[in-house]
Amino acid sequence: MIRLIKPFRILPLLVLLILSGAYSAEAKVYFQCPTLPGGSLNADSNGDGMLRADDGEINLPVSEHEVCMHLSSGDGFVNMADKVLDPDGDGNGHLQYTFGFSNLTGVPDSLAMETGMVAANFPAPTIRVREGDEFYLTLTNVGMMLRPDLFDPHTVHFHGFPNASAIFDGVPDDSIAINMGSSFTYYYKIMDAGTYMYHCHVEAAEHMQMGMLGNLYVDPAQDGTDYEYPVGSGRHFTQFAYDDGDGSTGYNHLYPLQISSFDPNFHDMHISVQPLPFAFMTDQYPMINGRGYPDTMNPAELANSFDGKTSQKVNSIITAAQGERILLRVSSLVTTNFNTLTVQGIPMLVVGNGARKLGPLNDTSQYYLTNSISLGGGEAMDIILDTNGPDGIAGNADDIAPGTYFLYATNADHLANNNEDYGGMMTEIQISAAP
Amino acid sequence: MNAFARYIRGRVTVLAALLLLVSASGAWAQIDGLTGTFFNFTAKSGHIITPDAASMMIWGYADDSTGQVQIPGPTLIVNQGDTITITLNNTLPEPVSIVFPGQQVTASGGAPGLLTQQVPGNDNGANPVTYTFTVNEPGTYTYFSGSHSDLQVEMGLYGALIVRPAVQDLAACSQYTQSAYGDCRSAYDYEFLILQSEMDMDIHQQVELSMIAHPTLPPAIDTAAYHPTIWFLNGRPGPDVLAEAGAAWLPAQPYNCLPRGNPGKRVLARMIGAGRDSHPFHTHGNNFDLIARDGRLLESAPGASKAATEVGVVPDLAVSDYTQTTSPGATFDTIYTWTGQDLGFDIYGTADAHTCSDPACPDANNDGFNDGDPTIACWDADTYEYCPDHGKPLPVVLPDIKDLAFGMFYSGSAFLGGTGVLPPGEGGFNLNNGYFHIWHSHNERELTNNDIFPGGMMTFFIVEPPGIEIQ
Repeated sequence: MIRLIKPFRILPLLVLLILSGAYSAEAKVYFQCPTLPGGSLNADSNGDGMLRADDGEINLPVSEHEVCMHLSSGDGFVNMADKVLDPDGDGNGHLQYTFGFSNLTGVPDSLAMETGMVAANFPAPTIRVREGDEFYLTLTNVGMMLRPDLFDPHTVHFHGFPNASAIFDGVPDDSIAINMGSSFTYYYKIMDAGTYMYHCHVEAAEHMQMGMLGNLYVDPAQDGTDYEYPVGSGRHFTQFAYDDGDGSTGYNHLYPLQISSFDPNFHDMHISVQPLPFAFMTDQYPMINGRGYPDTMNPAELANSFDGKTSQKVNSIITAAQGERILLRVSSLVTTNFNTLTVQGIPMLVVGNGARKLGPLNDTSQYYLTNSISLGGGEAMDIILDTNGPDGIAGNADDIAPGTYFLYATNADHLANNNEDYGGMMTEIQISAAP
Repeated sequence: MNAFARYIRGRVTVLAALLLLVSASGAWAQIDGLTGTFFNFTAKSGHIITPDAASMMIWGYADDSTGQVQIPGPTLIVNQGDTITITLNNTLPEPVSIVFPGQQVTASGGAPGLLTQQVPGNDNGANPVTYTFTVNEPGTYTYFSGSHSDLQVEMGLYGALIVRPAVQDLAACSQYTQSAYGDCRSAYDYEFLILQSEMDMDIHQQVELSMIAHPTLPPAIDTAAYHPTIWFLNGRPGPDVLAEAGAAWLPAQPYNCLPRGNPGKRVLARMIGAGRDSHPFHTHGNNFDLIARDGRLLESAPGASKAATEVGVVPDLAVSDYTQTTSPGATFDTIYTWTGQDLGFDIYGTADAHTCSDPACPDANNDGFNDGDPTIACWDADTYEYCPDHGKPLPVVLPDIKDLAFGMFYSGSAFLGGTGVLPPGEGGFNLNNGYFHIWHSHNERELTNNDIFPGGMMTFFIVEPPGIEIQ
């Protein structure tokens, strides 16, 4: 068991950090959300974690579809799901030190540092934007309070962004990265729907293993248009995975599922200020959206046992009623190996990968049904689960019966939370009877 | 200076000088290898210096004209329809052979092996094997040892085989002169080889100890206890992939891996899984289109094509993605084009005096052509700038340089071809002020060399400004 620094020790560390000159005189927090002269920012009224001109949250925006978000990058803690074995002996799953992002949107710049410190989420706050958005993403590096010996910069890499510039790609080797105490604003003109992901690219093998990973996906411009699919079925959709032209990627419920995994040895060595085991990085905590089963099914935002801050906010409970369609935006940011996922009892229709619909517009010929998908790190797939079965028509033999179905890794050793079995990379899909 | 810059500076000051000579030296943007129809190889042992300064024994195929052992083995670049003859000798202490997946091979000489004829161990020229085959189909292939493959592939006995098409039917895309499969769907401006492998340094050490103690006995190695700790592209780990091909200090690793291209150019990347692991290879900068696998176009019928968003005409079953998983023994041909379309700002900056041919070009459907007159391209003919973005300023204020950490490949400017003020000692490795986009295994553990980050399976694609010649 590792002795962790108690929360009250953080303040002296912070003072030390400031006195040590880690912050240059010019360093400042600066949430950039530009407006026309006389404009101003309102609160995040709908609680989606971002300020959108579309939602009336920006007065006099510089563009009609301006979207602004403010993330911190720093450190924090999460608990793993091995509560039964209780390896730390405190009634919680194993406490893991992490690097990560948290959402500072709406926090005044003057309070951003103290709000963001030791507040890392895992996974990072989900970013959901729309085609046509002009996305201003500010990253404020609040430093790693529990590792005051480190001076790491951080970045956001928008993984899969098409025709990326170097300046906003977040790769420190070919661009710039923000130091502690300062902010960098990324700009992305969002043009293509699909499943992406984001992560810090600084010292990527370390910062990604440490948890700087998050869901990022783009809704298509086609959303809001009514399509009946299949034609003649009487089912209408207004939300879609892609601009498909025929409604074939339509869904009722969308769930982003990002798989990732932790090597507890790596995290424990990190908080112990020891050399990090890159060559022998061996992940033992396979997760979906930053939790192992059964925590994936806990609807609550989970507080960590270090300081009680909520740091695991994303559950993976998947629900739908008979007759409905589910879109799973599945991505992998595992840093060590490949994973195969299955859904027991519901055929998976793959309609896209790599943030692209399979096949041309108005064409479903390259979609395929499968019972498993394999993902290496940095890969994403779009999966439709149709409760009416593959034919999309209700009232026949391939309908999916109400009940609980499991989505899980068929790499059977990934069905454990370290030494505690019956967990890991798994969640449940609950299908209820037609209303 | 960030860790990567310190690392590279510490290791390869010679590389710095060579990088500065990048536009003047050859062998930077092509696939190097042997051409012809008759080849003479010898399997032998040698050593490589890894970027963490370890000396590691490898086994490889040497081209007898130089006698230099190398990993990967010589890249064979041959023409469709030719009959190829490869004679193999062996100085290693166990039998060695070559298999050529996808080819109908006749083998003679040597001794019978499980998969093919093989040259006995410690043979030293007595019983060579001759492999003969006619290459009927163009494309990207691989070859590797068919003898004791679990050890010999690990040790480095593998290579690439590239078959050029007999006919280049490029009348419908006359801006191109080359293609992978003989038509516009596989046409390209530049081509690169990305051959991926990995090694377990412990196995190599055990082999070396065995060969010191018992030079003529086959090493008895447990290859099941396998844990790779160093990763390679074209036989070099990062950052050595960036040094020039044929670098004098890497005699057994003659090939580099540094893909480059100008905006709008089609770049063919021939990816090969040469080791025993799969790797999710992520291309920053843009999606690619996978056009062929194992030397066959992804087409539903001969000639079937579609227009891909990123790259233009491709086979109709091509798949766009930003990560290509390679698998052992398989090959993957991808076409990649970077255009800068729809970045929302002028990629050459507003201070620059450049013009765009149709600055007002309305292009609501993003097809790259004027919505009112589809014969007018929205791309500038000279700069390949996307005109609807022309003159738009960078939408954000960048932080003060004192608040930033700088990459060695950062030009100092947000703009393609631009420069800017950098603190002393920063930047400096981006000769033409291009955009560097890292291409790497997204199993991030593989970005290390023997426990040291960064390195391993990584390189960069350089978007070079228009007018910079890619040699």
